[in-house]
Amino acid sequence: MNYGMISAAAEGLTYGDTIFGLVTFIALVLLVGKFAWGPVTKMMAKRQDKITSDLDYADQSRDEAEKLLAQRKSELQNTQADAVKIINTAKANGETQGKKIVADAHAEAADLKTKAEADIAQAKQDALNSARDQVADLSVAIASKIIGKELTAGDQQALIDDYIKGLGD
Amino acid sequence: MNDKYPYLVVGPVRFNLANDIPMLVSAIIVFAVVFYLSRKPKLRPDGKQNLLEWVIDFTNGLVNGEMPGKQGGFFQLFAFTMFLFIFVMNQLGLFIDVNINGVSWFHSPTASPLITMTLASTVLFLAHYWGVENKGFAGYAKRYLNPMNLLEEFTNFMTLSLRLYGNIFAGEILITLIRNMALSGVVPILSFPVGFVFEMVWMGFSVFIGSIQAYIFVILSTVYTSHQVVSE
Repeated sequence: MNYGMISAAAEGLTYGDTIFGLVTFIALVLLVGKFAWGPVTKMMAKRQDKITSDLDYADQSRDEAEKLLAQRKSELQNTQADAVKIINTAKANGETQGKKIVADAHAEAADLKTKAEADIAQAKQDALNSARDQVADLSVAIASKIIGKELTAGDQQALIDDYIKGLGD
Repeated sequence: MNDKYPYLVVGPVRFNLANDIPMLVSAIIVFAVVFYLSRKPKLRPDGKQNLLEWVIDFTNGLVNGEMPGKQGGFFQLFAFTMFLFIFVMNQLGLFIDVNINGVSWFHSPTASPLITMTLASTVLFLAHYWGVENKGFAGYAKRYLNPMNLLEEFTNFMTLSLRLYGNIFAGEILITLIRNMALSGVVPILSFPVGFVFEMVWMGFSVFIGSIQAYIFVILSTVYTSHQVVSE
């Protein structure tokens, strides 16, 4: 039996092979499609979706991060300005308060001084007054003592002089 | 090649078992390998899934360039299966050649024109079916007002089937010839090493040819189908 188209035609086509080939191939396509192609291509499509969505998500995250960074930067600048302001006001407050305290202290001291001076003057005056009174009393007492005793005019004169001299001190 | 073939006669239908057995074996091999590679597909693919996805990407790349649209989806599966099926059938006969009492039981099914014509007519049937589906029968038939296009359909069928057949058939013949030369030379001690080297070289080349022919068959199928599907 020769092999080839012509000999096959001569003996009638063995179209069993055609039928068998068709059935085999169609069955193979269906089986491969159902058991291998389907799951794997589905997974490939899923992976593609995941990559796309991951890329989108990454873009989105980066945008957000940039926005956040800009916000942080401006906030930081604001904070620095605020800090400078706070320090300046604190310094100014401290200065004015210090000045006020010093001024108050000065004023009080002056007050106290004038008061003390007044007190001293008063005390001096009082002392002088009381001394004058005592002198008067003493002179009365001396006078009465002298009057009680027999004195010569000379003695009396000497006594008075002596006394007055003693008073002058 | 004056091999005899075992025939199975069922009523008016004759089956050439030397074509049908290896065809079935090829289909089983393709399915088993693909089935094994596709177990537990993961979002992060491991080795075997990568291999399968690489082949899928390869055939998808052939299809996507030619055929956008809704038929592309099914044709991707069609091209993928066709490629692997033809590839395995081409290679199978190179390594396995069963010959019992002068009756050949096992060779490359694609070395038989009937099988390649079956495959080619499957492709072209699908192409014409989609042509009618896409353009309507009037739009589809308008193309054949030019008789050259009618002729083209015939030549498409012949080139698609006979190119594959011719390449694989010639490869098988040469393998058999070299083997016969090696075993039955005038001086066997000389002819055997020479034949061994030739056989090895030619087998390597046939592996290459088998792969290339599977690739060409699929890419031509895609081109012919896209002629019908894509409106000019």
